[in-house]
Amino acid sequence: MLELIPDFLQDFFEEFANPQKRIFVGYLLSAFVVALVWLCIAERDSAKAAIKKIFDKNVWLSTSSLADFKIILVNRVIMSGTAAALVTQITISTFLYKLLHGQALIEPLALHFISAGSVAVIFTVFFFVFDDFSRFYVHRLMHRVPVLWAFHQVHHSAETMTPFTIFRTHPIEGFIFTLRTSVVQGIVISVFLFLFGSKVDLITVYGASVGVVIFHSLGSNLRHSHIKIRYPRTIELFFISPGQHQIHHSTEKRHFDKNFGVALAVWDLIFGSLSYSEDRTHKFGLTTKFGEKHNLLHLYIEPFKAAVRIIKQTKVTRGPQGWF
Amino acid sequence: MNKLVKTSILTASFLYIGASGASAADDVYANFPITLKDYDGSSKTSESYGGQMARHMLHNGLKKAASSGDLAKMEMYFNGAESVAILDPKSSDKFPVKQTKVEELSKGKTLIKKTYKGRVIGWPGNMTGAEVIQFMMKKASAAPKGVDLITGYNYPQLISKFTMGAVFYNQACTNYLGDKKLSSASKPNDAPYKKGAKYTGKEHVWDEAFGYWGAAAHTLTLSPKQSYEVAKKKNLTAADYNKDGVVDAGTEMTYAHAYYASGFDKGGKTNYLETVTRAFLTGRETITSAKGQKLGWNGRNGGKGIIKQAAIICSNWEKVIAEAVFKYAGSVYKDLENMKENMDDAKMFGKYVKHWGELKGFALALEAGKADRSAIANKLTGLMGYGPWLPNMSQVVDVSANGNYVKDESSSLQSYQMHMLKIQKLMVDEFGIKARNNDMLGSMGDLAAKLGGSGYAEND
Repeated sequence: MLELIPDFLQDFFEEFANPQKRIFVGYLLSAFVVALVWLCIAERDSAKAAIKKIFDKNVWLSTSSLADFKIILVNRVIMSGTAAALVTQITISTFLYKLLHGQALIEPLALHFISAGSVAVIFTVFFFVFDDFSRFYVHRLMHRVPVLWAFHQVHHSAETMTPFTIFRTHPIEGFIFTLRTSVVQGIVISVFLFLFGSKVDLITVYGASVGVVIFHSLGSNLRHSHIKIRYPRTIELFFISPGQHQIHHSTEKRHFDKNFGVALAVWDLIFGSLSYSEDRTHKFGLTTKFGEKHNLLHLYIEPFKAAVRIIKQTKVTRGPQGWF
Repeated sequence: MNKLVKTSILTASFLYIGASGASAADDVYANFPITLKDYDGSSKTSESYGGQMARHMLHNGLKKAASSGDLAKMEMYFNGAESVAILDPKSSDKFPVKQTKVEELSKGKTLIKKTYKGRVIGWPGNMTGAEVIQFMMKKASAAPKGVDLITGYNYPQLISKFTMGAVFYNQACTNYLGDKKLSSASKPNDAPYKKGAKYTGKEHVWDEAFGYWGAAAHTLTLSPKQSYEVAKKKNLTAADYNKDGVVDAGTEMTYAHAYYASGFDKGGKTNYLETVTRAFLTGRETITSAKGQKLGWNGRNGGKGIIKQAAIICSNWEKVIAEAVFKYAGSVYKDLENMKENMDDAKMFGKYVKHWGELKGFALALEAGKADRSAIANKLTGLMGYGPWLPNMSQVVDVSANGNYVKDESSSLQSYQMHMLKIQKLMVDEFGIKARNNDMLGSMGDLAAKLGGSGYAEND
């Protein structure tokens, strides 16, 4: 086990230098700038007061946030040892690519006449939208399927939020997210290579998808924070604001199961779960019984116990139709 | 103290320079001592592969002759003759070559006697390797500049690429590095290769295989780019290892599959040229270190043993040919794509049939190796056919009893393009090739890397 420590720590710190990752130092910096501008202009704080608010020690050093940091380390060790066993996007895309060649409905390279530049734009946009939808849908399932909620509640047990709260995730949920990524990328890669051949490419900025760079540069990290940035309602119909995601973490009953979206709000609009942001302070966390919310052992063990209890229940209160 | 430090640094520098020089010399396939016990001749070195280099000259000449459409000339290079001129590499002011006649390298050599004896699957008519080349030569003589636009056959390319496999690759990997010649009983290391020879049986067997590879003796002192430039006659400095002002066509040039290996390796993804050449050098050093005695278990089966080195050589050599099949399948795909704009563009069609000839030639060459590749050959033939797809939607499907081509309706252009992609995929699946020039499949790996993984347990 000891030999893993340098590797997983190295992996984690490398993420700060990787524009494909949400905690890339550039995105954290841009989130700071967005928060500073918002507090100074929208909330009329002085720069000094704004900075004090952004780095509020009651948030960053709270028991909840300290638990987030501990979970990062524990998850790194767990995922380092097990992630390799998960199916990769290459395995899935190779399998699907072969499958597509076995069907007769659509000719391979049916859209190869489209120029390489256009293919890159189509691929980049399609991947961003498809990936965002899959994130929305998996997130929705995490809330609506009781066994999945048993694990997702670990994330919702956070009572203060920082950009690092994204890592407050139970490993079982982590595996589900990894699998989602593999499936989505596997599908997109195989279908596009089948239809467009070697013209397929992703438009990137500093090695990351242009969609990802724009989304994260505009302060996506603030969705897990106490800075209540809100967009005009017309924009919140299409794009999720940090304030909207904070509603998702609110303990108020009327906010439950709202705003599952990541970048695009249209999915919530279509599935009837959209809620606009509100100009008020929200309390974050769980209202259900979860026990010691920030005890590490409890955070890892309790979801398994809850899942077993749910599976053992003979009466299913909501059928599959209700979950999806 | 200061003086002592300076002295130490100087000594260390000289030692380093001396060591570097020694290691460079060690990386040259030359100057192997005579180990044969009873040798009483005047030679000081035992390596000898002039016959193989003469055959490289014959192959280069055959390709040039095929472009001229002169059957007698083609037969001269294929069957061998007295006083045959070297057509390539031809001496010039910028790239002076030492030899002008094939016999200056070795006398009495032919290609026909050393051509693959098996039946060729990928060419119509159930012919042996030599019969295929003779058939192609005859057809080339009836086509302007050796290119038949009615059937889409570019004979200089077909003849050249197939001959490299059917002679060089076949002789090296099925004969000289084959199980029989590497066995203890055949061509032993404690006896001369033949009466009066300066080399042992195993030394010469190994040298002959090296000669067919086509690498310059000093290849390991060059970068892949330099070896490539040498083959293209564009880098005299890199070629002229002994600095005598001329390039020795027998030891200082890059030919055939070694040239293709350098082409793939300069892309940076592969290391075929060095891997194969180093395995040849290691094997030769193992044989030399036996000092004229029979090779022991270690010399045959150990890490530096000749069986292990032969396996490295032939598997990588085969990959080089598979890389070429992959590359030209991609070229054909692109040519067809361009032809869609204007089917009557003669220049574009000429480019297409040239690439197809290269593709077919290399595909046929894969059949001539040590391993049984008949299943792959059948798949390749099914995908590319006996002849190229033609704009009038026809394709050669057979050869009649009197030697005429038989044509039939072909599949659609799009379907044929798809077959090219399947060929590329087949090469990746069967041979695990890495250079993948002209990759038309797109790289799943590259795309996946750009999209990025999910990272560790991140919530939304």
